[in-house]
Amino acid sequence: MKAERRFAYLMMAPACLFLLLLVAYPVLLLVYNSFFDVPLIDPSRREFIGLGNYIDVLQSSRVRESAGRTLRYTAFALSFEMLFGFGAALIFSALGRRSKWHRTIFTLPLMIPPIVAGLLWRFLLAQNTGLVNNFLAAIGIIDSPSDIAWLSDPAIVLYAVALPDIWITTSFVALIVYAGLQNIPQDQIEAAKIDGASAIRRFWHITLPTLRPVIAVVLIIRGVDAAKTFDLIWIQTQGGPRFQSEVLSMNIYQRMVRYGDLGEASASATLFTIVMVIIAVIAYKKIWSPDNEK
Amino acid sequence: MKKTTMLMQGLAAATLLSGSLHAQTLNILVEGGGEMQQQAIADAFTAETGVEVNFTVVPYAGVFERLSTEIASGRSNFDLATIDVVWNAYFAPYLDPIDDLFTDEVLADLPLALVEDARVDGRYIGMPAWANAEILFYRTDLFEDPAEQAAFRDEYGYDLAPPTNWDEFRDVAVFFTRDTTGDGRTDLYGTDVKGAFSEEWMAHVLQAGSPGVILDDDNNVIIDNDEHVAALEFYVGLHCEYQVSPGGVLETGWAEAQNLFNQGNTAMMRFWGHAYKQIPEDAVVAGNVGAAPMIAGEAGIAAIPGPWYNVIPSTSAQKELAREFIAFAIANNHLGIDSPLGLAATNSAYERYATEPGNEHYFPLMETLGANATRGRPLHEDFQEIVDEAVLPALQEALECRRAPADILSDARRWVEDIL
Amino acid sequence: MRNNAFSSRQIGLSLAALAIVVVYALPYIYLVSTSLKPASQVLQIPPSFWPQTVTLENYTRILGTATVPGSFANSVIVALTSTFLALVLAVPAAYGASFFRVRLSIYFMMFALITRMVPTVSLGVPLFTILKDVGLLDTHLGLILAHTTISLPLAVWLMSAFFESIPRELEEAARMDGCNRFQSFFLVVLPLVSSGMAIAALFCFIASWNEFLFALLLTADQAKTTPIVIAEFRTAYGLDWGPMTALATLYSLPVILITLLLQKQIIGGLTFGAVKG
Repeated sequence: MKAERRFAYLMMAPACLFLLLLVAYPVLLLVYNSFFDVPLIDPSRREFIGLGNYIDVLQSSRVRESAGRTLRYTAFALSFEMLFGFGAALIFSALGRRSKWHRTIFTLPLMIPPIVAGLLWRFLLAQNTGLVNNFLAAIGIIDSPSDIAWLSDPAIVLYAVALPDIWITTSFVALIVYAGLQNIPQDQIEAAKIDGASAIRRFWHITLPTLRPVIAVVLIIRGVDAAKTFDLIWIQTQGGPRFQSEVLSMNIYQRMVRYGDLGEASASATLFTIVMVIIAVIAYKKIWSPDNEK
Repeated sequence: MKKTTMLMQGLAAATLLSGSLHAQTLNILVEGGGEMQQQAIADAFTAETGVEVNFTVVPYAGVFERLSTEIASGRSNFDLATIDVVWNAYFAPYLDPIDDLFTDEVLADLPLALVEDARVDGRYIGMPAWANAEILFYRTDLFEDPAEQAAFRDEYGYDLAPPTNWDEFRDVAVFFTRDTTGDGRTDLYGTDVKGAFSEEWMAHVLQAGSPGVILDDDNNVIIDNDEHVAALEFYVGLHCEYQVSPGGVLETGWAEAQNLFNQGNTAMMRFWGHAYKQIPEDAVVAGNVGAAPMIAGEAGIAAIPGPWYNVIPSTSAQKELAREFIAFAIANNHLGIDSPLGLAATNSAYERYATEPGNEHYFPLMETLGANATRGRPLHEDFQEIVDEAVLPALQEALECRRAPADILSDARRWVEDIL
Repeated sequence: MRNNAFSSRQIGLSLAALAIVVVYALPYIYLVSTSLKPASQVLQIPPSFWPQTVTLENYTRILGTATVPGSFANSVIVALTSTFLALVLAVPAAYGASFFRVRLSIYFMMFALITRMVPTVSLGVPLFTILKDVGLLDTHLGLILAHTTISLPLAVWLMSAFFESIPRELEEAARMDGCNRFQSFFLVVLPLVSSGMAIAALFCFIASWNEFLFALLLTADQAKTTPIVIAEFRTAYGLDWGPMTALATLYSLPVILITLLLQKQIIGGLTFGAVKG
């Protein structure tokens, strides 16, 4: 037992060392900086101000609003990814082996660089020249290609910038759910059919419960990624108009890189990290723990 | 005469250098436009001195980000950087002064606004590499059409011509906004209104006679003074009241406005001078574009200059070489004229080419840059933050047409004061 | 009767699937189509989906620049090396953590998961100063290390799912036959997860290939990758859509080809990791 433990630790050590050096240490540096008034351009000009940055951050309406937007963005992107992903997976699954090519094409957006997806959708959603509005105008849904301001109407911009996110990651959800569906024992379904259960009842009582762990994994992985989103929104709107599409990581980036306020940016980044880590730990305990199931 | 002397100086400096330096490389941080504008100058510099010039091209925001992080870390990959004027004040404490490069000759050859923007806290910290300003572009096929001219005179009682002031501009814009195909939709607009950037509104603020934009010379907040309000009412009115601009004003930035004009959707466009040379040969409006100075308000013609400056970071490893390059670049400033942007900083460079066909926009550009009311944005280290956090949001709120410009600006005043 | 109903349901499903796929593929096709348009048609009002005249001028223009081929090479070098590094570190670690279930392994897995939660921007700026101090800024190695902070946890989690699916008896049997722990790992267990390793490698590769923010912060010239070059088409003077779409098409081509070639393994591995994880 002891030899086994030593061997296991030996195997983990290099990766552990790497993560300590290149993740844990930078994060500590971040936390350290959060207690100082320190300009990015000249880190030697620092002044210890204790929790001053944290007070500023928590009192700032801009930070609070961007945190709220991060939540709304994540919820919006996630629910549509789940909805579309589930729908596509159910259709593919019903088609069985004949859906091979559909699934192949469906995988492609997953591989497209987010920066390309963001630029492409900015191009598609542009107000006068964009394909989407011109198409909607051509089929008569809107009067003129300038009617919907996808990327500049404060009421909808936060949801419009999520479209490329939904586009590139619905496939991720669909493929995972599809695989989960293949794992459902056919005899259970058949048995339920014989008992006269309707398709909806079968979905509700057999499919969904079996898929629960799959759904949890997807929700966590996608949820974290959506909450961290930066480049995709940045390339589309830079957070505008009037910050209506600014999410937390952009707020931090803006404060740090554009205004050079390393201290305050570090404080909000630290808070952001703490919240994410708490969520991660809770999720982790729910999904992966040596004691339950297996 | 002047040009020859400057050239000689450049050559002299170059000859001095070539004796002592071999196979050296000068590293310059630039934005895409900076490379275009300075490649010819760099080639000449290499030919004269043997020093290779290596441009590191980054996106617009990347120039600021890269340079701040370079300075932050104490060592530098770049001997020289070409930066937008809006960053001059922020970087000034970390730049080497180059007062001695502003000789009488150089000073005499530069528009005053450019010289003022080069000086922060009494020190010259950057040399203009090229300058730009918004001028007025208009469709000659529309303005010179006798039928249009007659119709305009009937309606407004004066002759149709490129507008020179706010009222004329509005009249002409309203006149040309129409449905040309008869399908009930407006497809030709008088002009565009840009909601993604605030510089155009700032130009109108100066035209109205404000002593500065957002801040005055003593850094007092003046964003809600009468001139700012009047300019915002005029600017927003074009969109909200007169509807002479295509929809999507909040999404309209420089690239979008330029495209609308080139595609023939707008009759006039206030735009940076370089757009004149960038009209594609197969564009709808190709061959039918005229250029005029920026329009005037009560204080006359005014614009916000858009110069870029060559600066030497205090972390630069080859400061002497960088100074030589700056001296060479300003002495040979006209070499940049052949770039796709076709811009220069000195009056002599523009004058030298202004009479050539295809350069009809140079005189309007020089007149606008040299106008009395033309002046740079405040040289304040937080100006970028002020624009991002207060000015642009205020402009965008005004363009939503719901609240009065005066109220919006007095709110914006509080935001600006918070930042300061 | 029954047969008819069956087939019409099938036809309906097929049509639905086809519709989804078409809607899904259209944006990408539009990207490719735009890249084949001459400058004057790119921003035409109203836009047309297909080019009226097909031209390769956007492609010749970007390939003629000095930055594009170099950045492609950088992307390949950084993505391949960081993938290799991530696997070398992650495969043994995942094995140690998931196969033996020792007490500390749960903390290790947690640590790896938490790493994923740290916002890239929070990690990027301290990394900048660290890399600067050791002289690794704007080098391949610097960016490789940064990208490995993303791909290592990813690989650890994927691989641990694969290791868990392997019966422990196999490893024990190998040691009965006289193998030591290293030998049984390399000779018995690793071959069983080779397809899993291919999947992990692919995902690490794509993570690095598509990464933007680290590359933006940590490279300048020598190690600049293609996503940065793509974003650079947006200059202070406008956005050059034609060449940008051409470069975006070229850059996504390799991963799309890999995806098509390894379709079965990717879907298998991706879903296997997540479902079993």
